[in-house]
Amino acid sequence: MTLEPGAAFPDLDLPDHTGRQRRLSELAAGDPVALAFSRGWWCPKEQRHLRELTALQDEFEVAYARIVVVSIDAPEVQAAFRAGLGARFTFLSDADRSWLARLDLLEASDTLHEPYRPTAFTLRPDLTIHRVYDGYWYWGRPTPEDLRQDMRAISRAVREDFRS
Amino acid sequence: MSALPRGAAHLAFDGGALHVGTGPGRRFSIDARCLQGPPVRAAYAHVCALVDTGAALEFDQPEVQQVRRDAMAWWIPLLGDALVCVTTLALDEARYGGAITVTREPVDWRDDPFARIFPGTLLRSDVFCEVAPPAGPVIERYAGVAWPGGSFAA
Repeated sequence: MTLEPGAAFPDLDLPDHTGRQRRLSELAAGDPVALAFSRGWWCPKEQRHLRELTALQDEFEVAYARIVVVSIDAPEVQAAFRAGLGARFTFLSDADRSWLARLDLLEASDTLHEPYRPTAFTLRPDLTIHRVYDGYWYWGRPTPEDLRQDMRAISRAVREDFRS
Repeated sequence: MSALPRGAAHLAFDGGALHVGTGPGRRFSIDARCLQGPPVRAAYAHVCALVDTGAALEFDQPEVQQVRRDAMAWWIPLLGDALVCVTTLALDEARYGGAITVTREPVDWRDDPFARIFPGTLLRSDVFCEVAPPAGPVIERYAGVAWPGGSFAA
């Protein structure tokens, strides 16, 4: 599967942090998306990065844009982690690793958890990939400013009345 | 004559009952998706609204913003599988008149964050259908449609 800018990101079908089955296109709901694949709650790097995403939600909540996080944590674990973060966006649980191999995002160096390789995508509302971030090394992750710039570029492209 | 957003569904609340479309009582617009599927019979509808026409706040008031944040942060997760749908009650493009949370089973309504703004009345209802909860974190409304309804999708 090709996960490069311009390609269509697959319409993931996974349970959310409450156990309710969701589709990525439904979560996008016509808005740009910051999609983050995360190792899991136990990883200090993920804890740090998700605190940063949670801080950024105060901008997303007024800007018609979405944040979605995918990890291999079970929904009840995600719900607790999400509550601890104070996050108001959706977590998707791939505890069964149903998408992990198809997306070719296995972090091979962690044979204990078999988690996702930290990778972030910014997506247009139709799930076309705008930009990809390889976050295996922490500095490869999108900064808040990267996400602002991506959301600005996508919004400019898809909102007819966005005047540059 | 109120200026309800186009495309919204409408309800009337008389303090003791809800009426779809026109009916006695105060008129609100809601997230239309709440009425567009197979209805959940004998559901519990917690109507946090008043019939007094003066009971209104702007959606942009901090307390009305915060109650939507609380709904996504913990109220909806707390309800889990019991949730049928949730909608705010819009009076027009700018003003908030309350909210309704609908569940399949009784819950502890003392936790309902919307009741912080206008007190709740618990009713049984046969009109609401299941709607996927808002994905978050958006609390803004789409062209004046009652939150969490609407979108900019084509």
